[in-house]
Amino acid sequence: MIPETSDNYFEKLMKRRTFLGHTGFGLGSAALASLMAGDSAMAADEPAPGRMGLAGFPHHSQRAKRVIFLCMAGGPSHLETFDFKQKLADLHGQPMPESFTRGQPIAQLQGQELRVQGPMTEFRRYGRNGQTISDFLPWHAKMADDICIIKSMVTEQINHDPAHTFMNTGSAISGRPSMGSWINYGLGSESDNLPGFVVMTSVGGRNPQPIASRQWSSGFLPSRYQGVEFNNTGDPVHYVRNPWGLDRSMDRSLTDAIRTLDGVRNRKVLNPEIETRIAAYEMAFRMQASVPELMDLSDEPQHILDMYGATPGDGSYASNCLLARRLAERGVRFIHLYHRGWDHHGGLVQYMNTCCGLTDKPTWALLTDLKQRGMLDDTLIIWGGEFGRTPMFQGKGGAGRDHHIKGFSMWMAGGGVQGGISYGNTDELGYHAVENPVHVRDLHATMLHLLGIDHRRFSFPFQGLDMRLTGVEPAHPVSGILA
Amino acid sequence: MIQFLFRNFRARACHAHGRPGAAMALTVTVAAVIGGLAPGRAGAADDGASQTPATIDFNRDIRPILSDNCFFCHGPDRSERKADLRLDTLEGATANSDSGGTAAIVPGNPEASEMIARIFTQDEDDVMPPPDSGKSLTAEQKDLLRTWVKQGAVYATHWAWEPPQPRAVPESRAAAELPSATAIDRFVGRKLDEAGLNFSDRADPVTLVRRLYFDLTGLPPSPSAVDAFAAAPDEQAWMSLVGELLSSPAYGERMATWWLDLVRYADTVGYHGDQDHNIAAYRDYVIDAFNRNMPLDRFSAEQLAGDLMPEPTTAQKIATGYNRLLQTTHEGGLQPKEYLAIYAADRVRNVSSVWLGSTLGCAQCHDHKYDPYTMKDFYSMAAFFADVDEARHFREGTNSLPTKRPPEMDVIPVSRQRRIDTLQDQLKRILNGSPKSTAGTDRRAAEIEAAIEELRSQKVRTMVTESVEPRVMRILPRGNWLDESGPVVTPEVPEFLGSLNKTEAGAGRASRLDLAGWLFAPGKEGGIGELTARVFANRIWYMLTGRGISESLEDFGGQGSPPTHPELLDFLALEFMESGWDIRHLIRTIVQSHTYRQDSVGSGESRQTDPLNRLFSRQSRYRVPAEMIRDTALEVSGLLVHEPAVTSIRPYQPDGYYRHLNFPERTYQHDTDRNQWKRAVYMHWQRMFLHPMLKAFDAPTREECTARRPRSNTPLASLTLLNDPAFIEAARHFAGRTLLNQRLHNDRLKITWMFRQAVSRSPDPETELPVLTQLLADAREYFLAHPGKAEKITDIGLSRSEWHQSPAELAAWTQTARAILNLNETYQRN
Repeated sequence: MIPETSDNYFEKLMKRRTFLGHTGFGLGSAALASLMAGDSAMAADEPAPGRMGLAGFPHHSQRAKRVIFLCMAGGPSHLETFDFKQKLADLHGQPMPESFTRGQPIAQLQGQELRVQGPMTEFRRYGRNGQTISDFLPWHAKMADDICIIKSMVTEQINHDPAHTFMNTGSAISGRPSMGSWINYGLGSESDNLPGFVVMTSVGGRNPQPIASRQWSSGFLPSRYQGVEFNNTGDPVHYVRNPWGLDRSMDRSLTDAIRTLDGVRNRKVLNPEIETRIAAYEMAFRMQASVPELMDLSDEPQHILDMYGATPGDGSYASNCLLARRLAERGVRFIHLYHRGWDHHGGLVQYMNTCCGLTDKPTWALLTDLKQRGMLDDTLIIWGGEFGRTPMFQGKGGAGRDHHIKGFSMWMAGGGVQGGISYGNTDELGYHAVENPVHVRDLHATMLHLLGIDHRRFSFPFQGLDMRLTGVEPAHPVSGILA
Repeated sequence: MIQFLFRNFRARACHAHGRPGAAMALTVTVAAVIGGLAPGRAGAADDGASQTPATIDFNRDIRPILSDNCFFCHGPDRSERKADLRLDTLEGATANSDSGGTAAIVPGNPEASEMIARIFTQDEDDVMPPPDSGKSLTAEQKDLLRTWVKQGAVYATHWAWEPPQPRAVPESRAAAELPSATAIDRFVGRKLDEAGLNFSDRADPVTLVRRLYFDLTGLPPSPSAVDAFAAAPDEQAWMSLVGELLSSPAYGERMATWWLDLVRYADTVGYHGDQDHNIAAYRDYVIDAFNRNMPLDRFSAEQLAGDLMPEPTTAQKIATGYNRLLQTTHEGGLQPKEYLAIYAADRVRNVSSVWLGSTLGCAQCHDHKYDPYTMKDFYSMAAFFADVDEARHFREGTNSLPTKRPPEMDVIPVSRQRRIDTLQDQLKRILNGSPKSTAGTDRRAAEIEAAIEELRSQKVRTMVTESVEPRVMRILPRGNWLDESGPVVTPEVPEFLGSLNKTEAGAGRASRLDLAGWLFAPGKEGGIGELTARVFANRIWYMLTGRGISESLEDFGGQGSPPTHPELLDFLALEFMESGWDIRHLIRTIVQSHTYRQDSVGSGESRQTDPLNRLFSRQSRYRVPAEMIRDTALEVSGLLVHEPAVTSIRPYQPDGYYRHLNFPERTYQHDTDRNQWKRAVYMHWQRMFLHPMLKAFDAPTREECTARRPRSNTPLASLTLLNDPAFIEAARHFAGRTLLNQRLHNDRLKITWMFRQAVSRSPDPETELPVLTQLLADAREYFLAHPGKAEKITDIGLSRSEWHQSPAELAAWTQTARAILNLNETYQRN
């Protein structure tokens, strides 16, 4: 860990001081810039003037400026969404051929008889290239030409918690930064009054997946890059509202008094860290207005609310999709939305109806709304869970499927991704990704590539290693899906 | 008797030392001292490090460059080694030189050395490090390597694996100018001499008292404590204050915060459902151990292996909760074998971080890239813990709160047992002291007996270690738990550090107790005590100065930072070990020095020449850790309850913060009794959703070992101090206490009194007092105009103000108190 010690700031600000001359309080804006994004105290070089990310970033031209990651937590079944397998229907009810499962990790089906479970819905072809999409997702069908379906995803972790950690941080070991933190660290934020990495979770669905704040931790990166959770109930950001209910003028006079007194003290003790603190209070003050303004949907016309199916303040996935668009408009770099109802060990049809009912249309609305505002071109949308589900039957309360990591589906759309195509394939039973496998590391490399970052040249020193989001194993941007 | 050898490295070092002309003197230029300490890392180039030091020190100047740029492909890891070349040993680097072939390094002859050619070449195909590695050498680094080869390419054992040597305390000009200089000052002064610097002046008494209070108790001093010392701030007063603070109960609480970060103490399991588990009695044990100044060797052994000690006491069994602190999962569909492998790796990471200061955990899937740890070392270390009964929760664990993680015990916590012991002593005195029992003594005795009985009945459940038949431990190829083709290993320490030789000697399988013994036994008895001492001396030094002598407190390996003051570090390590691992003694030794007592602003010269304070030419200053922030606000306001808590406390927390937890669903009930205002070390530590206040101020989730916390300054932290109800309540209580104080009969006196409570000094009448006076005036005006708002202040928090005369006045003073409880200085240790 490289703490943000006062020494780091001191070094940083000593350089700045030389640059700015002995301007005393004039340092505020420089400190502010460093606070918002560009943590050059951590980087080898000063950021280029006018930019707030790392020097030399982006490495190449950006196809996407921001990411909206739609996480279907629990692991949606690829076999009931995008990956149709006739053979699965043919073998339904028969023993699962051992050639597929021998020596493979198994979650809840350990020690049980493994039987093939045929598809539990119908599939049709949509769009100019005939994308295969199931009947659970009628609104996805409408955007078949916009999305690129990756049918050959592979991950390494078979239980939810480590699988999320792996998907978000590239490692199952706790304490690594999540991708939203990495991206803000590299590119900086484009917002003056909102955090660059925002996380929202949605209500509704079946018994929800627990999700840890580790999933949006900045790990060994500086704390300022951590994801900030926006809440649907209570304060939208912890402590952003004064529980006392005082007017804005009182917040202002208090913040002013704190700033003045900190400044007076600083003239005596010459501590550059105080400048950063003053900037933090300024941003806190602005967030007290900007966050409620963001969360207030009253300026959205009814037809937009209807398009998403959003009822302001209900905490639904629909409302969160609309908020995601508003965050994207305000320059937030990484927006991570969780819907937590996708762990369908049993009753899969019933729960797919529930979860798709809650998410299908809002997802379409988000993509379509961005598109009609011209923002889809530089926004990357990623949809998927932490893993897929087994071709084998599991029967906890009606037919369902167990966790599955050797082949599953995700999709990407927007900035720099070809729409209307499918990429890769699983085998005839949807077990193993056999054609163009895309590892989670490749997904990360692709996402970074679209953001203008070469994943191999994006590291941070920790425990003596140059840590990367993509780790040490080979990882490659998936060139076959790039527009 | 166990054998202890620095096997390969010792031999190699001797070889290197034996070379003719290998000068090992420590004469260096100023530039090298300041800028060249870690050439691979912190921007050394700015400080004029382009001057190559006259004599190159391998560990200080060369190893960091080679390690960071070369060892990944040309280091200890056989499987990754490219071109069959290793540069981490002299033998490897000079291979072929005798047979007339091309050698990477020909000592004394840079022109004939392939490595030098390859780092200087302009040819992209040949240049090292290769461009696609993302690594490149600066011109200064290349020059240094060339000079080093020219001077004979002298290798040395990595500093951290060379046992500390007794060091003569050097003469120092800077130290000689001090009224009294300790050995520490002479070590530090010697480096200052070389840089042409002086010590900074002694800090003013107010700053000193504040510093000492924060460092030793984690609490700010009361104004009267400050006054008492400032009245006669002599040597005797200082050392008596040190003694007083070291023996206050707050000391153990402060030290526990540090220890609990290292061992990753938390109240919940950490994975998936993040259920509570029973472990608070362990925290109680840790606090008690510090307060009794338990020697570090015993403290460590009790935690690692208390259950294996002869007839272990209850306290020793509680201590073995250490082995149960790791993250566990209670998720359906977990694969027991997978999690046993995950747990084993978790333990290796923690044990090696805490006691070895090493990243042995990196050798799970491959040999270590930079240090001579092998995969076999990793799994052999894991084997020490293969007897820890940890599989039962796979069968017996539940989604209840708390979950079940047997083995668990119902115990009387250590601190409660001490109260029982005290009461029993009292009882004995009463019974012995008055042979004739009177009605009074009888009643008193009965009361005490009842109290003892009451305390005895309040047992708490806590996880402990029980030894079972050890699980078979195999080397897992590439860390893959599904692959059972690897060889079986038995408990053993890392090979290059020695051997416990249990199996060879036929003494049976080595145990956790043997491991604990090895960590603390001196080298002459076959242990690595001297090395362990260095790891901990460095951390205590960090705690008291804000910067480690080696800055990488958690990594003493080749990629860590070499010590800026190696002789001082050796001195402290040996002092610590020879004192019998006496932590208070080590602290006393450090705080007695002028180095500790320096001003933290420093002279212009100090700041200019030594901007990163690598020479300790002044003290450090920093925002105190999360726990101290809460404790300080509560203490200043008068709300803090100075009592221990055996079970974890639950302060106010935003509603719905645990809504993402499930199995089972969680609701958080904040405490409604005195526990609400106890110290933060007792706070409920929910790994998956750490309290937002702790998180905002960089407290770790304690999933892994944390030796250094970051110190950030974020808007979320500002919002916490501004709006967390705990801080608003503290402000109101602070205001109410001020208004109740009859002696403070005007605004100026009130403001001054409040200011002193928080920052130990009076506000400046010209620049500070008017700001607060104006804030108060604005607030009064506002609340008089908005009486409804003023009354709302009483809705926040559970405590009730005892001052009721005017809601508007209480509210206005609360607003003033909020400003004071938001000042940088209030939470600044300087």
